[in-house]
Amino acid sequence: MRVLALIGLACGAAVATASGQITPGLDAGIAAVKYDGFLLSGAASVAPSVRWDHPRGKGFVSARGTYLRFESGNRSLDASMRGSWFAALAPRWRGELGLGLGASDYASIAHFSHGIVDARVHLMDQVRGGWLATSFGQSSFGAGPRPVAVVAIGGWLLRADAAVFASFDRSFVGDTAYSDLRSSARLQRGVVLLEGTLGARILSDGAGRGVYGEASATVPLGGNTALIVAGGRYPTDVITGSIAGSYLSAGFRLGASGGGIRKPLPAARPRPAIPHSSSGADGSRGPLLPPAEARLEVAPGRSTDDPVKLTLYAAGARVVEISGDFTDWKPMELRRSLTNGEAWEGMFRMTRGIHRINVRRDGGPWTAPAGTTRSADDFDGEVGVFLLP
Amino acid sequence: MMLAALLLVVQVGVAAQDPRLERLDPETRSVVVWVVDSARAVGLPSEPLIQRALEGATKGAAGPRIAAAVRRLATDLGTARTALSQRTSAPELEAGVAALRAGASPEVLTRLRDARRPPLTMALAVLADLVASGVPADSASAVVLAMAPTARDADLVEFRKAVERDISLGAPPGASAAVRAANTGIRFGTSDAAQNPSQPPRPPSRP
Repeated sequence: MRVLALIGLACGAAVATASGQITPGLDAGIAAVKYDGFLLSGAASVAPSVRWDHPRGKGFVSARGTYLRFESGNRSLDASMRGSWFAALAPRWRGELGLGLGASDYASIAHFSHGIVDARVHLMDQVRGGWLATSFGQSSFGAGPRPVAVVAIGGWLLRADAAVFASFDRSFVGDTAYSDLRSSARLQRGVVLLEGTLGARILSDGAGRGVYGEASATVPLGGNTALIVAGGRYPTDVITGSIAGSYLSAGFRLGASGGGIRKPLPAARPRPAIPHSSSGADGSRGPLLPPAEARLEVAPGRSTDDPVKLTLYAAGARVVEISGDFTDWKPMELRRSLTNGEAWEGMFRMTRGIHRINVRRDGGPWTAPAGTTRSADDFDGEVGVFLLP
Repeated sequence: MMLAALLLVVQVGVAAQDPRLERLDPETRSVVVWVVDSARAVGLPSEPLIQRALEGATKGAAGPRIAAAVRRLATDLGTARTALSQRTSAPELEAGVAALRAGASPEVLTRLRDARRPPLTMALAVLADLVASGVPADSASAVVLAMAPTARDADLVEFRKAVERDISLGAPPGASAAVRAANTGIRFGTSDAAQNPSQPPRPPSRP
């Protein structure tokens, strides 16, 4: 039977054994991908996978590897494993205990790994269900392991040819924290399987924000082969170490694609594991405060003796004042620019080096303007810090 | 000791005449003057301390809060000077305090002093900015230390701007610093120097 399973693996066919079903797969494709901070690039990927399912549905183990090569010649390697074990807790209630492991390497520059243990409680019937989950573990970038904790809640609804999912989670990785509100759907139209995800990253401190969405179509080509076309934008995954990006991909899948209620993921989506971390080893972190209403621009004079021109862009303001170490912290009213009604200007003498500044518009609170490094001051407020070179 | 005490007495008279501190209530002013003069007596710059007191007054902070802030800053200035050098300039010390408060360790400041010719103001300020932007302190320290031996101040500023741009586009701070550092030839997370760090960081490249 073991030989049969290996043959099945080689041929991309599912093999049922007395101890469960083994389902191998192989994805290969090409993509145009635009990671945040990078130029658009072409890439080719090969991703073998294998999944073992318990014969009575008590659990599964899946593993996947991805080799991704960019047109620059750089390559990304990624391997991950996921296992879950289910237990009946009560009628309609099931418990799940899972383990996820992964590691990746991008161009021998950055290495990343994670290990997560999670527990879920499911409440379900034949057509709908929901779950509550909590996860703990560790995510490492180089030699800097950081604790991971996630709480999540979700639900699903199943129809004859469609399934809809929705979830909300809150993740903590070191001192990075963020939430994702996600919805996704799978729709069968004839032989074509359509999948889509729409989500928003919110309440984020260090993991980016914004709306994202992906869509894919899987078209069976006969036998165990399917064509997959996918595209969209996905957010940074702080736990597994992929950075945000957009992509359009096409590829082939050899082997069963698997079904059932699970989070849809485009098969040929290339995600080089460019590690990231937004939490310090010592837990230190500058405060990330909401954007200020005013933006500061600093224009040094030609010589160190010349006054420095400060311009505050504050749309709709009637009065704009600044206060800083270069005014001995006396409020100074700026004058409206003659050429731009939203700009307020002033000339100040200041020494080279670090300076602290606050801005007040229309008699409101003192705030740190955008264009400066916002820091907590010593007085339960914020202050903008800028460097005059 | 006698000389220090004498200096202290003399300096108290000088600082007490600083008209700017009259914005403080008498009790707070006396504490601030004492801290300022003590700092000056040991060679620390007094102007940042006065400015911190004035900042608190403008923001309507309570007297004890202002005094505590000035004391804390004096302590941090001393820590920065110990880590850097007795000959460190006031702007460098202020930048050093910013870096320490951002999360850099005194050891990092010392290594930076050993790796780069003065003035260190820009390197320290960039380090503080990176951490304040969300780059982990250890990662920011590694990058700045790697660039420090040969990078110009302008290179450091450009690097910081590039990371800020990435962050504003939604990139995780640590990832941005890693990628930008890699683009300059720095092996992120190691102490390898850049291959040619005097060159400004390259624009976004293909992955």
